[in-house]
Amino acid sequence: MRIVIVGNGVAGMEAALGVRAREPRWSITIVSEESDHFFSRTALMYVLAGQMSHRDIEPLERDLYARARFDRVRARATGVDVNARVVELAGDTIPYDRLLVASGSRPRSAAWKGAHLRGVGHFVTLQDLEWLEHEVHGGPSCGGRPPRPDAHETPIAHGSPYRRRQVAAEARRRTARSALVIGGGLIGIEAVESLLAAGLTVHLWVRDEWFWPLAIDRREGAWIAEALRSHGVEVRYGDEVEELLGGDDGNVRGARSTQGAEIAVDVVVIAIGVVPNTEWLAASAIERDRGGGILVDAGLRTSAPDVLAAGDCASVPWPGGGHRPEQLWYTARDQGRVAARRLLGDEATYARGIFYNSAKLVDIEYTAVGQLASGRDGAADWLFEERGRVRSSTRIAVRNGHVAGFSLLGRRWDHSVLGRWIAERRSLAWVLDHLTEAGWDSELVPPLVVPPELRVTR
Amino acid sequence: MDGQAQQRLMATYRDAWRSRGIVAWLVSIGIVAVYVTLYFTDVLDPPAAAIGLESKWFLYSFVYSAAMIAGAWSFLRRHGNSRYQRVRTYVNVGVQVLLGFCVPFAMKLAGQKDFYLSYFWPLKIDYLFPTTLRSLPVYLVLYAMLGSLVAVPLLTIYFGKRWYCSWVCGCGALANTIGDPWRHLSSKSTAAWRLENVTVYAVLALAVSTTAVVAGNQFLGPGHGAFSHFASQLQHYYFLVVASVLAGVVGTGLYPILGTRVWCRYFCPMAALLGLVQKLGRFRIAVKPDMCISCGNCSTYCEMGIDVRSYAQSNQSFTRASCVGCGMCAHVCPRGVLRLENRWPIQGDKKQQSLPVVDF
Ligand SMILES: Cc1cc2nc3c(=O)[nH]c(=O)nc-3n(C[C@H](O)[C@H](O)[C@H](O)COP(=O)(O)OP(=O)(O)OC[C@H]3O[C@@H](n4cnc5c(N)ncnc54)[C@H](O)[C@@H]3O)c2cc1C
Ligand code: SF4
Repeated sequence: MRIVIVGNGVAGMEAALGVRAREPRWSITIVSEESDHFFSRTALMYVLAGQMSHRDIEPLERDLYARARFDRVRARATGVDVNARVVELAGDTIPYDRLLVASGSRPRSAAWKGAHLRGVGHFVTLQDLEWLEHEVHGGPSCGGRPPRPDAHETPIAHGSPYRRRQVAAEARRRTARSALVIGGGLIGIEAVESLLAAGLTVHLWVRDEWFWPLAIDRREGAWIAEALRSHGVEVRYGDEVEELLGGDDGNVRGARSTQGAEIAVDVVVIAIGVVPNTEWLAASAIERDRGGGILVDAGLRTSAPDVLAAGDCASVPWPGGGHRPEQLWYTARDQGRVAARRLLGDEATYARGIFYNSAKLVDIEYTAVGQLASGRDGAADWLFEERGRVRSSTRIAVRNGHVAGFSLLGRRWDHSVLGRWIAERRSLAWVLDHLTEAGWDSELVPPLVVPPELRVTR
Repeated sequence: MDGQAQQRLMATYRDAWRSRGIVAWLVSIGIVAVYVTLYFTDVLDPPAAAIGLESKWFLYSFVYSAAMIAGAWSFLRRHGNSRYQRVRTYVNVGVQVLLGFCVPFAMKLAGQKDFYLSYFWPLKIDYLFPTTLRSLPVYLVLYAMLGSLVAVPLLTIYFGKRWYCSWVCGCGALANTIGDPWRHLSSKSTAAWRLENVTVYAVLALAVSTTAVVAGNQFLGPGHGAFSHFASQLQHYYFLVVASVLAGVVGTGLYPILGTRVWCRYFCPMAALLGLVQKLGRFRIAVKPDMCISCGNCSTYCEMGIDVRSYAQSNQSFTRASCVGCGMCAHVCPRGVLRLENRWPIQGDKKQQSLPVVDF
């Protein structure tokens, strides 16, 4: 049996390991354009900042491919011929019996004037990381070098998210001193943090009225803005980029907003979201949705026989109908596991559970579980803002008499307990009585005490 | 507390001295030279006398305490935003300054033989030698015996070995203060893990047998020619190799290259013994299910080289013998996945599998 997997991200690697664990003799080929080794995309910011080395963000030891007998093809796949059952590479093909596409996301690009200037880029791929390392540090950090100098060089096809960008710092002959990050989402805030740690003056421009209104309400957003400002970030909410300004040397030199604000910066990171990385499949007979996500059923099967898709690139069925990709680490991992069983020939289906996620917003811990008011002020939700030895904020959304979602800042929580309460349709009064049972704070942190006047009766 | 702590931690690899650059090697050579001078020459006696200290060992204790305090300051600048790390550091440094320096110094001034209340067998194997015990006042004999054989293991059952290794021990205190800038350099490879399992238990076996042989010899009294000779040679070489070379020269000197806690991880007989006890006790690192993003901060900053990430990714709460419970994995985890806990396993807890390495 010949298994081919496009992508050695978490989805692809979980699938490969799952197949190998049961079938020692099958041939497993992993095609990857981006990197030699599986690495944690979620940790890019720590390498940029200097908190981790390139090696540290590889979860598996480097001899894994040899030990697990994975054939590694370091190349860009350019299409799939579903009739001939081959994956096409530039000038080569790889035949498959079963194929898994796990090609992840690519950054959403911006149409602004100047978006193609030198010194403007994204923060999603390893090549983006290396580009930024050159812009802000003049190269990889000490101890932070990639496995070999050309490890992330890719023979690039135009339009690939894995191409190396030109470095403005080289043309300028000095590293960047100031940066503009555009976009109020998790990748944006991670970029801000690592640029701050590198000692740059950082501007953050967010189109919305506050940071990440998809999940965060106005009052929470105010705290995050305060935290950002206290670290010296120049935050600008409710304004958009009109144009990125270039100098005679082709480098970016600044930006102007629609409201007329103009700033001078050396580097610009565009973090306005990601989209499925599937345009390489444009000419292949694998059905995709309008956003580019590969349409799959609950068994992760695509429209083509024996072709599966998993991870960020797959548009999975959602409970209320319709298909959407889930762009999270744990969903990619879970889908990779389901894909492994499908590749093995088992019946397996992917079931979405209650949503949860966590993040660290500057130095504020954040956990979200369930459904929260999206796009609107969560003013109707129960909220307690703790100010004392610990600063925290606890917001609970109630729908039809039972608890539907949690948005929690400043403390650690066990999302699995909170998710269970949502599934059990607990009342707000019950949840408030039991809240400490879901606490996950470190030892010695005083527990959250909800003041009596905020309690509700049954 | 300190809003800048996280930023400082983030810049760790940016400095050559913290990432095996030339400066790191020079620092390492410097520490090795200091230990060689201390253990194998008398060069440090005159300067000690000059400032009124009785021997080079007090000078060493003094410098040790000073380094620890300076290191604690820098540690708190990097990790002081964690309450656990703050309290732990205050206690550990406090204990060392008091029990590792002030008390022995006062005893010496009072004309007594100095005794370190914060050390126990088998870290100091001579504390259970009959000759040592006979030279001590009764209350110290009780302290050494009950401490080493009853209190230490019992506390470890209840709180894990961290109560000693990370809250009391002087070697741990040095590693977690002045050694902290290098904690990320500990090797996480399977090879290092295998090596550590050989070396650390070998030293433990050596410590136990040396104690037995030396004690046996002291009981038998003089006149057992060959055996007495063997016992005194064994004792001599144990102190030379383990207490001087492995604990000082290698175990501390190589911090800047191999990461802090080289001694604790590869050689310390106390750590080995308490590790075995810890496996039977309540302490564990609890993993919050399905929240880990595999970033690897926990593994990177584990000074004992435990691949915490592999447990976290597989939703596996765990107790590893080598874990000193410094709490750094839980502190640096950006998703709050890990928590140090003392509790007996309850029904429904998943049984710990062996190390979840990928093996084929
Ligand atoms: C900066 C950043 C921070 C993040 N933080 C979090 C977080 O905190 N929590 C969270 O849940 N999620 C986070 N995510 C999202 C998470 O990283 C992704 O959901 C996850 O990595 C998706 O995994 P994947 O296997 O689907 O794809 P990817 O990891 O993107 O892997 C794609 C693979 O496909 C290969 N590939 C793609 N196209 C081709 C081609 N044409 N030919 C050959 N190979 C190809 C690439 O080489 C690569 O190996 C973050 C993402 C980013 C960028
Ligand atoms: S630090 Fe936390 S999120 Fe990162 S690998 Fe470890 S447990 Fe997972």
